[in-house]
Amino acid sequence: MEGASTSTGYQAPVLKAKDYKSDINPIWCPGCGDFGVLAAMTKAAAYLGLAKEQLAMVSGIGCSSRLPAYINSYGFHGIHGRSLAIAAGLKAARPDLTVVVAGGDGDGFSIGGNHFIHACRRNMDLTYIVMDNEVYGMTKGQASPTTQPDWRNSKLTPRGTGVRRFQPAALALAAGASFIARGFTGDPSGLTQLIVQAIQHPGFSFLHVLSPCQTYQPEQKEWKHLVHEHAAEVTADPIEAARLIQADDGMSLGVIYAQSLPTWLPPHLSQASLPEIEAEFHL
Amino acid sequence: MSDHHPEHIASVGEFLAHALELEYESAERYRELAGNMSVHNNPEIAELFEYLARMSDLHAQEVEEHARDIQLPQIAPWDYKWAAGGSPEANAAEQDEELSYLMTPIQAIRLALHNELRGRDFYARVAAGSPDLEVRRLAAEMAEEETEHADLLEQRLAKMDPRRAEPVEDLDPPNMPE
Amino acid sequence: MPQESLTGQPSRLSIAITGSGGSGAVTTGSILLAAVARAGYYGLMTRSAGPQIRGGESAAMVRFGPGPVNGMDDRFDILVALDWLNISRFYDEIPLGAESLVLTDPAGGTVPAEILASGAQVVELPLKAMADAVAGGRLNMAALGAAGAMAGLPLAALEAAATATLGRKSASVAESAVACLQAGYAAAPARPVTAITGTERWNMSGNEASGLGALRGGVRFVAAYPITPATEMLEWLAPRLEKVGGGLLQAEDELASVNMIIGGSFGGVPSLTATSGPGLSLMMEGLGLAVTSETPIVVANVMRGGPSTGIPTKSEQSDLNLALYGFHGDAPHLVLAATDIRDCTFTTQWAVRLVEHLQTVAIVLTDQALGQSRTICDPPAEFPDKLSRVTAEIGAEPYRRYALTETGISPMALPGQPGGLYVADGLEHNPRGTPSSMAKDHAAQLEKRRRKLLDFDYGPWWAEIRGAGPLAPLALVTWGSATGAVVEAAERLTAAGHPTRAIALRLIAPLRHADLAQALDGAERVLVVEQNQGAQLFHYLHGEQALPAGAHSFARPGPLPLRPGDIVTAALATLDRRVPAAVPAAGTSPATTTPESQGHASVSPTADTTSVDRPAPTSAQEH
Repeated sequence: MEGASTSTGYQAPVLKAKDYKSDINPIWCPGCGDFGVLAAMTKAAAYLGLAKEQLAMVSGIGCSSRLPAYINSYGFHGIHGRSLAIAAGLKAARPDLTVVVAGGDGDGFSIGGNHFIHACRRNMDLTYIVMDNEVYGMTKGQASPTTQPDWRNSKLTPRGTGVRRFQPAALALAAGASFIARGFTGDPSGLTQLIVQAIQHPGFSFLHVLSPCQTYQPEQKEWKHLVHEHAAEVTADPIEAARLIQADDGMSLGVIYAQSLPTWLPPHLSQASLPEIEAEFHL
Repeated sequence: MSDHHPEHIASVGEFLAHALELEYESAERYRELAGNMSVHNNPEIAELFEYLARMSDLHAQEVEEHARDIQLPQIAPWDYKWAAGGSPEANAAEQDEELSYLMTPIQAIRLALHNELRGRDFYARVAAGSPDLEVRRLAAEMAEEETEHADLLEQRLAKMDPRRAEPVEDLDPPNMPE
Repeated sequence: MPQESLTGQPSRLSIAITGSGGSGAVTTGSILLAAVARAGYYGLMTRSAGPQIRGGESAAMVRFGPGPVNGMDDRFDILVALDWLNISRFYDEIPLGAESLVLTDPAGGTVPAEILASGAQVVELPLKAMADAVAGGRLNMAALGAAGAMAGLPLAALEAAATATLGRKSASVAESAVACLQAGYAAAPARPVTAITGTERWNMSGNEASGLGALRGGVRFVAAYPITPATEMLEWLAPRLEKVGGGLLQAEDELASVNMIIGGSFGGVPSLTATSGPGLSLMMEGLGLAVTSETPIVVANVMRGGPSTGIPTKSEQSDLNLALYGFHGDAPHLVLAATDIRDCTFTTQWAVRLVEHLQTVAIVLTDQALGQSRTICDPPAEFPDKLSRVTAEIGAEPYRRYALTETGISPMALPGQPGGLYVADGLEHNPRGTPSSMAKDHAAQLEKRRRKLLDFDYGPWWAEIRGAGPLAPLALVTWGSATGAVVEAAERLTAAGHPTRAIALRLIAPLRHADLAQALDGAERVLVVEQNQGAQLFHYLHGEQALPAGAHSFARPGPLPLRPGDIVTAALATLDRRVPAAVPAAGTSPATTTPESQGHASVSPTADTTSVDRPAPTSAQEH
């Protein structure tokens, strides 16, 4: 695997993981998978030695989008589905910041689906962590784009959605993402490493995190028995990645695809003066 | 991916680094649960988790004593040789059977007992398999200590009102906060 | 009263150039405007086009004179018809009168009866033959030469303008053009040439002017989604932002563009986007976030005919309600409107400085008539104040992003600043920024977000006040692109013995009650003039209890521009009305004209209103 995977030469972090936790207690249900992302994110930040003020956590709306409040950094808890847009603007204006975007499957794949597509192809240097629990938790358990079509536990879709599930990794690849990985909150060490690799990846890194919902999807407790290590080495070949993703059961963990592609940033050119620009209006 | 073989721990320094991380993580996780229970208006369990966090602090101090004159290696979070994906006493996914905002003291102690046993198992595997004699000796001591903790928790469980063993029925539907 | 004093002033001249695709009507208009500038005049060029991307009929309309020109006249003095194909599309946009001249080549077809019906004199010249006599010659340049002579422009100015414009293509194109110009100029019935000495003037479109205002205000990040008629502002900004060390990001939609600028501004970089009505509707969700999170942003909204796709290529002032009331929740914000093309620079610059200082949202309203028109004007005014973002100074106390301060403005920490860590939030929050659903936090934050806007001293820039002095009994109140016609109407009314003042609101929200009351003091009659069907400003001012008894509305939808003569007629009708009419019943349409009466605007009785039964505004009612 590429990225930081060895302890050789590793320097002691100046800040410890818990220094990146804010003093606000999460409102998440006890046992929520999102606690695992909070822990892994803080450990990753400590490992990378990020200055707290140089880290910006951006999110939308939903249970998982509460994450920025629990991290001791700058943050923006925006509106439903628009986190990637806020993050793109922030990164374009402030390329010096490490910008990490967090949200859920409804926020990212449904209302924010168009932004997801274009964030992938724009390939700005952002890390996008989607905590997928296959349900809208904050609004009381409705089917999300990743919910099984026969899931009948929502009053909104009493016969199930009957609609095939959204395939986040396949879509990210098709849309041009340059880094695609999957993690599981029940694998805190592996998840920490994936977050580190995602942040280190230059370009848009998409980290799909299986994050069980205790309240609305209690059967997801079984995920810990269903996940398995991604069998193949990370590939930079999109054709191979497409094959792996399509053949996969959606429960394999690891970096699937990492490719070095040009990242987008507005070119900050010369420092012309306004009078120079205004001269074009003179008769 | 991680090396899931505690028995590969081969030096006292490496072992103590693991032991310290285990106790720090344990304390951190109990504090997180305590805060979470207090957010969910279950002060009884919040207090219990606070107590368990302080116990983990004490264990951490003991390990720090051991490590006082030893240069500990710095280990990346994913390079710890835990038996599974994370620190044995702090993995949310390993605790999910018991976790609920209405959890009872019995459930909380059972969760703690589960953690202690996972800690004990980790030390036991080191004690049985490390190539380093001194590591094996230290790990056996820690495993013994974890067993004692587990026994204490068992005794405490035995004294608790068995009527509070079962999860409480939730009379309120979930809220819609946003 | 002498009717002739209420019509066009002979010192200004209006010329329309029409033609089908490929005839070069718009290029001809641009060269004419440049020639006007070279001759020392001020000028204005508006455009009208069919929906085709290429090959459609188009019209360029130029008005010029020795002083600033901010609106079109009632009638055109000269119509230059490069051909008659599809001319019917422009009948209602190019009113002619008996004094008008129609320049045409008989070889290009007969003059349509509708044109002849105006009584205009037809000037026939063999334009095509003149062009054919020149290698590479073109009819439109011969026509321009003829029109220039008929308008009294110096030939040298026309030649220089054509050379400057066409010389970029090649020297031979410019030489052929000049030869055609000379032929046309020599053949036409000439008006005496008036030479004037012009001062320093600029040539800019409204969208360019708005872009410049953004740069002057300090905007260095723009997110953009193309929409007619705002796109040129974004296109103008893209390369120039880079030159001043900023950047532009093309978004996937307007939902993204507004949130992108919220992100950029959160990062400390003054940020703006530009759009038009439907795009503004899509942005409303994000604007609520910017208001609540107190992230300064500016949205330049270039209005077009609506609703829905409406008439995207033509102008209307019909997004005011959206700008004022489109937000969800109680969301105090700024609504500004540029009063003319030149003012697009000042108003946008001012808006940027205001939002930076007040940490709020400003919607700057312009429209197609400003944005896509071109003016020869004085250099735009600079906003003189040094208003800027109040940034946090981190001390011993924990930083509180939304601290309740006396002004309501909470110093803002910027990412990268140690000790200022906070999470901006669209959820209601406490002073620290932690989400809160408590009534006291909601009340305190709502109050601070409103107070910071209401208590601020906006200075003298809230309106342009023109026309006769403060004692004039008639006041015309307007906004945006209607200002030019309204000011001209006030001048004509005053000259005709009806002293009239014109008040054009630059800051529409929050309304400057005291300033407006002072500006209206003593006015016996007030007429609110705007280019929309619903009398949106009129109803807003009434809702704010800012209009005196006897206020009337003259509101007419686009796309035809409001002409000074229409406004004069409506104002005279207002003056004739001695007794205020009854308050209109709820739900009564205030529409002032029917389609049949367009161009002969009148004030319908249902538009009359009075506030005699309403108390005058008191300070307690001014929020």
